[in-house]
Amino acid sequence: MNSQTPGKTREDIAMSIAGLGPHGERAVPADQIQLSATDAAEARARRFSVAVVLHTTTSDWSKQELAGIAATLGLHSAALVEVVDCNFDVELQIAVLNRLAVDPVDAVISIPIGNARVAAAHRALTQSGRKLVLLDNAPTGMLPGTDYASVVSTDNFGLGQSCASMLSAHIPAGGAAGILGYGIDFFATHEREIAFRKWMATHRPDVTLVRERFAELDGAGQAALAMVEKTPGLSGIFAVWDVPAMKAVRALAQGGIDIPMTTVDLGNEVALDMARHGMIKGVGAQMPYDQGCAAARVTLAALLGLPVPPWVALAGREVTPFDVVEAYQVIWHLPAPKAIIESSRASTASQDSHAGQ
Amino acid sequence: MAEEKTALRSVGRPRSVEAAQASLALLLNLVRTGAATTRQELERRSELGRAVVADRLATMIDLGLLKEGELGQATGGRAPRQMQFRQDAGSLLVSAIDQSSIALGIADLNGQLLVEHHEAAQLDAGPEAILDRLATIFDWLLKETEKPAPWGIGLALPGPVEKPADSFEAVPVLQTVQSWQDFPFLERLSMRFGVPVFARSGVQTMTMGEAKAGGGRGLSDMIYVKLGRSISAGLISEGHLHRGAQGAAGMIGHSRVGEDLLEAVAGADAITREGLAAGEEGRSPYLAQTLERHGELSVVDIGHAAQLGDLFCVELLGRCGRLVGEALAPLTNLVNPSLIVIGGVVAESGGDSLLAGIREAVYRQSHPMVSRDLQIIRSQMGASSGLVGAAQVVVEELFAPAMLQGWIGQGSPLLHPDFQKSLERAAATLAVKASPAAGRVGP
Repeated sequence: MNSQTPGKTREDIAMSIAGLGPHGERAVPADQIQLSATDAAEARARRFSVAVVLHTTTSDWSKQELAGIAATLGLHSAALVEVVDCNFDVELQIAVLNRLAVDPVDAVISIPIGNARVAAAHRALTQSGRKLVLLDNAPTGMLPGTDYASVVSTDNFGLGQSCASMLSAHIPAGGAAGILGYGIDFFATHEREIAFRKWMATHRPDVTLVRERFAELDGAGQAALAMVEKTPGLSGIFAVWDVPAMKAVRALAQGGIDIPMTTVDLGNEVALDMARHGMIKGVGAQMPYDQGCAAARVTLAALLGLPVPPWVALAGREVTPFDVVEAYQVIWHLPAPKAIIESSRASTASQDSHAGQ
Repeated sequence: MAEEKTALRSVGRPRSVEAAQASLALLLNLVRTGAATTRQELERRSELGRAVVADRLATMIDLGLLKEGELGQATGGRAPRQMQFRQDAGSLLVSAIDQSSIALGIADLNGQLLVEHHEAAQLDAGPEAILDRLATIFDWLLKETEKPAPWGIGLALPGPVEKPADSFEAVPVLQTVQSWQDFPFLERLSMRFGVPVFARSGVQTMTMGEAKAGGGRGLSDMIYVKLGRSISAGLISEGHLHRGAQGAAGMIGHSRVGEDLLEAVAGADAITREGLAAGEEGRSPYLAQTLERHGELSVVDIGHAAQLGDLFCVELLGRCGRLVGEALAPLTNLVNPSLIVIGGVVAESGGDSLLAGIREAVYRQSHPMVSRDLQIIRSQMGASSGLVGAAQVVVEELFAPAMLQGWIGQGSPLLHPDFQKSLERAAATLAVKASPAAGRVGP
């Protein structure tokens, strides 16, 4: 695990890829997937049409993912002809994929919502002759080459390990840490939780792990409160992504509880909480813009008939309260919002003045 | 309870309990494999009378092994009700342990994989660490995905696995790795979950996985070759896995290439070593660059470089492919397969130049008739083939007619008298040794 030492390059700060692919594949890092000048020229000449099918288009992650896909496809004269928001609806995703299998598109980039339930529709899309690139995971039973071209994913295992190592600093010897887990069968959150537990078992066998699950996002706050009540001396919580983490932060704050937390993804609210030096002490962040760019490059390579690796992975990036503004710029390709910059300045100034006293 | 029912239903009809169980087993397997699903078909295929078939089906519905399904095709008169096997009556835990990774999954009783997880692990961490990891992840997966309680464990191991003398008898595993010698791995795993464990070599389970769900689906004769740090092969001949006299069939990495073993010149370690030298000496621009950036190289980098057209890597993988092909050609002539599937980490990353090398050598050295329709392809299943194959091993073992007759009256293989005895035996043996440390609750 890399720590953030000043003066290190971006490659140094990025974590290395710890996890294996959906079929145990070794990762090919996303930056190794590049089109040569000849390939790029051919792609421009063929003017491909691509559709994107997402679980939702309203989250920060989705917006950045789409921005990366659109920009990269555009650079290669490929049109992003449709973006579908499935609103987490499995049936809707199946219907859309069945329609796209006869629509005039050359390729589809999709994030499978359910595990086995959406496998057949994805398979049928590939059988229709369209190229299929998956984001994050392949449903169990689907095979690269036959059923899809490639999976482009963040290293979720690495993110879980990273969150464990960052939380560990806040857990005293013999203490207890909590996991705020997702009660739905979902590959990415599974991998994060398994990795978090494995890191703790290996590096902090003294720590007792407790866990609460939430099936609906609105239950995350209650689950966090229940965990704190049931476990006196709980010293830290890992939430499997940022939205439930912030639900927990609010519920705990209302109950007058302050407890160190780590989570995955640098959403706006999490970034603000970190800038204020609130409960969130560390984030393992995905790089959705970069993932979108990589997915687009893989799609173009597959459309050109070039061999593509079955699993292309992107390392996450560790973020601490001390580099939240810079990390925000790297992850979101945007300047950090004013509130985050000001809070960060205020916190640093107050810390400096404490240090000076 | 279940036993009582069977006994009651049997009064006055079958000649003996064995006959009743034989007919139950026969009918269950006909339904399970889809060979016959309506009462009429079952009567015809089993050559049992209508009353006996009705009685046996009712018993198996009571035991939770079968259920009434959809209406079938009418052949005059009412459409018949189809019987369905309850593949969710139990689950199968499967794991493939390799030199540097472990894979785990849960499958249904048809051997269909429902969930899987892969992670890096070092075999030389010792059997205790691997056992602990398996147990914690299985516990977690079972709880997390709310799958039915397990009926058996299928295990793929990185080395030959001896055939046991009897069903449920544990065999020593991984004698070649020093820290694993004399460690009761299978007994401990079996005791931990209270289910029977069936083990095979990794390459044999991968072969079965490819035959069931990969490139070999529907084929009766195929060879699977695993190219990793070691090189080995599995053979499906006329629909059956060939295990050999001791269970050690397929160790082709031990054939000689000049003075060396094949796996010492064409295995992943050899390829990485040559790539490293070329990177350091600047003979491969791509590898030199990767080495500079990451400070290390793996066989995946070399494969990727070959795909991008790095001449050194294309040539290196092509040469390894030809060496492997030369070892495969005599096998091909011997067994006349319709398909050769190349898997393992070298094949996954090695791409077209490796495959081209293998094809060149096999086609050149095989009899024209043998190579006429022979296909040589790369596996698309990765390590999942080991999991699918391990599930298939358990399905074949649990539902083998002789085995099935031993438990079908009780409704679950966990109640098989021989398995109960083997658990007692294992408990007695293990009690003599120091009791194991309590595992952690979570993965």
